Amino acid sequence: MLHSTAVTDTSDSGGSGRWVELENAARGAILHLSGEWRLASLTAIQHALRAVPNSDPVVSVEGGALTALDTAGALSLLRHLRSLAIDPATVDFAGFAPAHRRVIEVVMDNSLSDATSDPRVHRRNAIAALGVQTESLGRLMAGHLNFFGYVAAGFARMIMHPRNLRLHELAAQFKQVGISAIPVVSLVTFLIGVVFAYLLGLQAERYGASIFVVDGVAIGMAREFSPILVAVIIAGRSGAAFTAQLGTMKLTEETDAIRALGLSPMDVLVLPRVIALVVALPLLVFVGDVMSNLGAMAMAVATLDLTASSYIERLSLALTTRHLAVGLWKAPVFALFISVIGIRMGMSVNRDTRAIGINTTSTVVQGIVSVILLDALFAVILQELDI
Amino acid sequence: MAAADSIIEVENVVTRFGAQTVHDGVSFSIRRGELVGLIGSSGTGKSVLLREMIGLSRPTGGAIRVFGTDVWAAPADELAAMRRRFGMMFQDGALFSSLDVAHNVAVPLMEHTDLAPDFLWPLVRLRIALAGLPPDAGAKMPSELSGGMRKRAAIARALALEPEAIFLDEPTSGLDPITARAFDRLVRFLVDDLGITIVIVTHDLDTLLTVVDRVIVLANGKVIGDGPVKEVMVLDDPWVRSYFSVRTMAQGTGERGDHGT
Repeated sequence: MLHSTAVTDTSDSGGSGRWVELENAARGAILHLSGEWRLASLTAIQHALRAVPNSDPVVSVEGGALTALDTAGALSLLRHLRSLAIDPATVDFAGFAPAHRRVIEVVMDNSLSDATSDPRVHRRNAIAALGVQTESLGRLMAGHLNFFGYVAAGFARMIMHPRNLRLHELAAQFKQVGISAIPVVSLVTFLIGVVFAYLLGLQAERYGASIFVVDGVAIGMAREFSPILVAVIIAGRSGAAFTAQLGTMKLTEETDAIRALGLSPMDVLVLPRVIALVVALPLLVFVGDVMSNLGAMAMAVATLDLTASSYIERLSLALTTRHLAVGLWKAPVFALFISVIGIRMGMSVNRDTRAIGINTTSTVVQGIVSVILLDALFAVILQELDI
Repeated sequence: MAAADSIIEVENVVTRFGAQTVHDGVSFSIRRGELVGLIGSSGTGKSVLLREMIGLSRPTGGAIRVFGTDVWAAPADELAAMRRRFGMMFQDGALFSSLDVAHNVAVPLMEHTDLAPDFLWPLVRLRIALAGLPPDAGAKMPSELSGGMRKRAAIARALALEPEAIFLDEPTSGLDPITARAFDRLVRFLVDDLGITIVIVTHDLDTLLTVVDRVIVLANGKVIGDGPVKEVMVLDDPWVRSYFSVRTMAQGTGERGDHGT
């Protein structure tokens, strides 16, 4: 539809134009409104209002020809009057249908406070943002340390009173974080074993040293790759699950209910998860050790002219308990960090469903970064200790 | 009956979930400018009916027409146009938690209109004021609001596009009586002063007795009562009788308490 904004500056109030017409009467200007003053046609209406020529102050608005008026239309009219420095309260609104008059009154009563400014996007400069981020990272770390202290204290209390250990909950958690993770851990480590053996085999074969593929895969996987890979998988799988579970429980006030029933969330929620993961992760790493060697063996048999028995024989020589132990000892430390981070991020969800998503993302990132950092730390320590 | 005046027509609606029949031929119509309460005991499918009216859940049988559009037979663009003509307030507000109140109200306006910012934000402020919120509420996040304010913010969002009708799902549940009565007055104001048609699903007897024009009672999958509260109150139905007798008892004790102080 065309928006013909005929604005006639005559005393002819016959209403040939649309939306608004100006009439200069003896006592001042009169605006004649017509048509449907609705949100849908607001752009045209505002255009028509702006096109009204300057005149004597508007003393009256004639609304008899209006077929519809909603609050957006009324707000446009009032804002137009105010922009001309006219107080709408002094204007005579004549001829309006009772319903339309009521809309005008309601909008007039509710649109006085133009005091609050429009929402603006706050943009910080890069340095300020860096500062804010650093500060919040520091607070996050301090919070983690604090929570870690709580967990340690809770664990000590549980050692003193072993009956407080929730065996049922512990078993359920162990199943979720341990047993159920075996398929994905097996698949990933098997395939990594295959790839690892293939890449090492390409090089070793050139020197006629195919058999040393076994040393490379077995030691590399047991000391480094199996713990790291499994810990990263579990950080994504169980760390995120802890945050989502506890965050939801926090929002539905289940954690408060636990407290109100005289139970301790530490005993019921936190310790079973931490203990389950600390026990489960080394076991999963062992699964990873086995599966990666199976993968490597399959690849070696297929492409490197090794037999399964020669692979296993070499494995028994190459993979000493020391190498295996290094990998298996790292795992509980990774598990402790993953579980404490996951649980605390869940517990710090506050009132808001959005926070669950944000905290879950953060848990995965923190979990993976802490696993990598810890592993680097271990590498340095083990190097110094000559293990 | 002025059929031209009825903007919502529910015709012989049947809803089944598996073996369970929730609605077994529900029919009623709602006229422009009415404030209608939909009541019934828990599990009689009031909220389900509301969801069917706005096209969120599909009834097993029957037809629902809103503004003359058959909700479950209309093409997508006609349905979208129909949806722009009403507002819906969900039970706990269902505000977008990542946006502050002002942006929550602005979302439908930004999506469906091309208003310039210098008019959009004043209009948003008007909506917030009409819903009875203080001006500074616009900058708050939904998580910072009390239950009553969340519901008002949801009303402000439902009002954004100048709806001809608003559906409210248990607007006063979880509110203290004073806040709930203030909310009732807000609802009445929207009907009387802005000419909006409102359908309320509610358990709140005070809402029914003070502001609602007409009550529709659902029981056993059917409409067993349809009319002004005074007529519905005296219906010979066990649920209706016990429902309204709670009120009489509460009033008795309330009056005694008043005299005591």
